[in-house]
Amino acid sequence: MNGGVTVRGLCGGYGTGRDAVRDVDFVAEPGQIVGVLGPNGGGKTTLFRALLGELPTRRGEVVLPGPPAYVPQTERARLDFPVSAFDVALMGAYRRTPWFRRVARRDRYNARAALERVGLGDRVGVAFGALSGGQRQRVLIARALLQEAAVLLLDEPLSGVDGVSAARIEAVFADLRAEGRTVLVTTHDVRQAGEWDRVLCLNGRQIEYGRPAAVLSPETLRETYGAELIVLEGGSRAVGIGHHGHAH
Amino acid sequence: MIDFSAPYLQRAVIEMLLLAVPAGLLGSWIVLRRLAFFTHAVGTVSFPALVLASAWGIAPQLAAVAAALGFGAAQERLARTRRLAADAATGLLLVGALAVGVVLASDVFESGTEVDTLLFGSLIGLSDRDLWFTAAVAAGTVVLDLALRRHWLAAGFEAGSARALGLRPVLADRLLLAGIAAAAIVALDAVGALLVSVVLVVPAATVRLLTDRLAPLRLGAMALAAAEGIAAVWLADSLNVGAGPALAVMGGGVFALVATGTALRPRAVTA
Repeated sequence: MNGGVTVRGLCGGYGTGRDAVRDVDFVAEPGQIVGVLGPNGGGKTTLFRALLGELPTRRGEVVLPGPPAYVPQTERARLDFPVSAFDVALMGAYRRTPWFRRVARRDRYNARAALERVGLGDRVGVAFGALSGGQRQRVLIARALLQEAAVLLLDEPLSGVDGVSAARIEAVFADLRAEGRTVLVTTHDVRQAGEWDRVLCLNGRQIEYGRPAAVLSPETLRETYGAELIVLEGGSRAVGIGHHGHAH
Repeated sequence: MIDFSAPYLQRAVIEMLLLAVPAGLLGSWIVLRRLAFFTHAVGTVSFPALVLASAWGIAPQLAAVAAALGFGAAQERLARTRRLAADAATGLLLVGALAVGVVLASDVFESGTEVDTLLFGSLIGLSDRDLWFTAAVAAGTVVLDLALRRHWLAAGFEAGSARALGLRPVLADRLLLAGIAAAAIVALDAVGALLVSVVLVVPAATVRLLTDRLAPLRLGAMALAAAEGIAAVWLADSLNVGAGPALAVMGGGVFALVATGTALRPRAVTA
């Protein structure tokens, strides 16, 4: 697995308004996990849209080794839809399945294997809507694993998940790093991002990018989050206010 | 007992069996993707076009296609007005179409009793050409479903990831709406402008109460639509009423029974 993510001077936005993200410039190597920090509306999801080729870019370029896999926030999924965990995981094979063929037997096997990898081997046939929030998040990650992409983009995968799910997801991150894949993860938990390989701070524009020890200074965090920054545990931990008005 | 040797009844039964195909395949997506109001609107907005087609002697399906295209364009234009919600725009167009249709039928062309047929359908008027139109739409529905059901499933489940999965959700959704419009148009002859939902929505909505799986939903809706259609032909012929109202009574009754049964069903208790 090789390639990584190269973004050079990226500026882009929807419609004719001002740029939703500007001056984004970073290189994420294969085997690196990048934490993407920023306030609500700071451009984290917009950056992912740009990497997915869904955002009109006005300047700059994005270089990827292939189509990335994307894991959305779990609450964007319809819980009343008649799909099982297996059905959702199998969607990861749609890109390589011709419309007139059934999904290949190998992919069906791999979909089960991906669910086992995220600790849901015994929940394969369960309706997606009947799973817990953390389990649903793991199903969406299993779907991304089946895409066999060199780059994975995960939108707040650890927000509000239970401890078991969080541990499973972190273990999958470690596997992906060992496999040489590049993983970009948005989060509001600064301490969590500090444990990964690189941190990208966004607030409409790129504030900083680099190793966590170099990037996560009080000045950078203040510039990134402004009034949305909350410092906890006597100053040893900082979190941004999350999408749903709660801190993680 | 119904005598199916009469050609008009044979055509009516064939029409209902053909309509069961889009009722099962597209009806499931209509229910899952919450497009019931759109389906109803496509039927209703065709009413003034049907009045014109009847008066001018042109094929009602062609007139209905023109009405559906006009409806789609007008809805898209209204939807761009941010102060008007999409369902409000649909409602506005729907009421406007009914009003125009009534004025055309009563004051311009003086269509008289034919208005009932246009609004609620007729078994007697079905021609071989109508059956061919319906057969073509049924075959097109099968092809569309085969080609696009993965797109519709993934986009309906979670739209934001569909393109990242290698799918084309915008094109697929437009073709879904076009397929639903085509199915609604061919259903007009049998059930009329006001009751296309009875054949395209109600069977799938009924089966949805009984299953959480996609394949049984599609097959069940198809089977129920076929059974209700044949029963409606018998009822309409026996009581000398329109097929649309007969099917509406039948479909509504079955839905009410199933809804009551599922509501009374003991629920599993989890510890």
